[in-house]
Amino acid sequence: MKLQLIDYLVIAIYFLFVITIGYVLKKKIKTGNDFLMSNKSIPLWITSLAFISANLGAQEVLGMAANGAKYGLYTVHFYWLGAALAMIFLGIYMMPFYYGSKARSVPEYLALRFDEKTRGFNAITFAIMTVFSSGVSLYALAMLLNIVLGWDFNVSIFLAAGIVFVYTFLGGLTSAVYNEVLQFFLIVLGIAPLVFIGLDKVGGWEGIVKSVEDSKLHLWKGMSSAATNPMGVDAFSLVFGLGFVLAFGYWCTDFLVVQRAMISRNLNEAQRTPIIASVPKVLMPAIVIMPGIILLALQSQFTGYELPTNANGQTDYNMVLPLLLNKLYPNGILGIGITALIASFMSGMAGNVTAFNTVFTFDIYQSYIKKNASEKHYLYVGKATTVVGILISIATAYIAKSFNSIMDLLQLVFSFINAPLFATFFLGMFWKRTTANGAFWGLVSGTAAAALTHGLTTAEGKGGWIANLHDFYSGTSHAFNIAWISFVVCLISTALISLVTKPKDKESLVGLVYSLTPKQKDTSKVWYKNPLVLGCIVLVTTLILNIIFY
Amino acid sequence: MNKLLDLRFVIGLFFLATGSLLVGHYVIVGKSQGDYPTINLWSGMGFLLFGVFMVLLSLRKEEEG
Repeated sequence: MKLQLIDYLVIAIYFLFVITIGYVLKKKIKTGNDFLMSNKSIPLWITSLAFISANLGAQEVLGMAANGAKYGLYTVHFYWLGAALAMIFLGIYMMPFYYGSKARSVPEYLALRFDEKTRGFNAITFAIMTVFSSGVSLYALAMLLNIVLGWDFNVSIFLAAGIVFVYTFLGGLTSAVYNEVLQFFLIVLGIAPLVFIGLDKVGGWEGIVKSVEDSKLHLWKGMSSAATNPMGVDAFSLVFGLGFVLAFGYWCTDFLVVQRAMISRNLNEAQRTPIIASVPKVLMPAIVIMPGIILLALQSQFTGYELPTNANGQTDYNMVLPLLLNKLYPNGILGIGITALIASFMSGMAGNVTAFNTVFTFDIYQSYIKKNASEKHYLYVGKATTVVGILISIATAYIAKSFNSIMDLLQLVFSFINAPLFATFFLGMFWKRTTANGAFWGLVSGTAAAALTHGLTTAEGKGGWIANLHDFYSGTSHAFNIAWISFVVCLISTALISLVTKPKDKESLVGLVYSLTPKQKDTSKVWYKNPLVLGCIVLVTTLILNIIFY
Repeated sequence: MNKLLDLRFVIGLFFLATGSLLVGHYVIVGKSQGDYPTINLWSGMGFLLFGVFMVLLSLRKEEEG
């Protein structure tokens, strides 16, 4: 792929804009709260697009196109089953507790609902996960620029990290959020022409139906057994593992995304943020998964669309999008496409860095190191944490270079942490009897159960480091099953320990537990301001789409 | 400077700049090679339209205010 001056100009303009956004917003940053929480002043349309964009990182854009080619239309489950319902649940049922409790972060809610040790456990695991995730995004970006454009790996790492550092250091969370929205439009408008011309080239959807094997063009067909669908997943682990545990664990408890709703101007907007974000989320497969399916049709109709192999001799599905950009885009729009990819990586990295500095400053530094300092002091700490977060990300990127399985490991760690955490939240918010000791030991046992399941089972040659009691059809199926097992273990452990330990008094749980919190009647008569009505519309639409593509 | 704090204005400017580049490239260099020689022109015009839409949105709020 050879870029020309026009492509470099597009990339340069993008870099100029993201840095300018940080510089302009610098004037607004006066306190730690401005830097880390945007002073809860961000309008609804921005929080909604930032909510979805914080998740629109490298995995989403490259990974989902790859899965589109590998699993076909089944990949859409990650959106319609694995996101929409959980986002609506967050908006309607959980956001009133996050926002209403005045907590500034997810770990802080845990401190209010349970105790400091539960908060500390979550804050530390989350902080480690975010900087590692940020580093992996950086590594993936540098690898992409190295392989596709021939740029030096080290230069790519420091250039990307430097730009993310400048705009997050200058403008804090607001700058990251503003850039996420710009990146959202860039990714959508930069990849949409690729989908359009790709579809045109293969003869539209009809051409895809004729060229691509039927087993890859359904959502639910063959789901009765893991052996009869390309994903290697059965309906139970799909619905319970992905649709319930992983989806709700990620969208309802991961501070990286929840933070975007928590900086809304008021509760109603905080509730509507994930619900409005679910609309583009439901439509997003047309942009991120469709290229993978189009590639399958192109391979069937033309020559020259074969994917390269990786170091292990396996087909490198991650190259789906770069291959299509190279084949279908001329210089000019190619610069836009490459910039969209760069934007997705930087968006993922900046989201992680800003979530990391908020959790570190509020939930670790302010809680355990220096309480009751001035706002100015926490602003300096937040900025210093940004520097540290970027430096650790760079170090992690180099570690990732040395261990080619670190991405798989990171995904696994996410399922270890997020799945049991949702069980803790679920019980904590909806069962007033849940105790602090129950929550803490439930989390620990759920995480341990995930590790044990991984150690006793295998998939695609991974796992089974204790013994091999069962072999799953695919890595995806492995992750779904680990998730639901750790969720169930955490749920049962938390419930049992809670029954034999002393709960908090009811007065201190008002605003934190569903049954003890006075219900606020939504007085808004306008349908589009009512979270419940909006949620129902999105759900019905998603259901209809599932029926159409059954 | 205050206008630059309005994200709609900033996004509008970005797409006006990149859209102008794509259209300008087509005007200067002409049709590109490949199956879709006018893709830069059409994408550029789409970007320009979107840019104008976002800038107008930011100006409309100012007038209302």
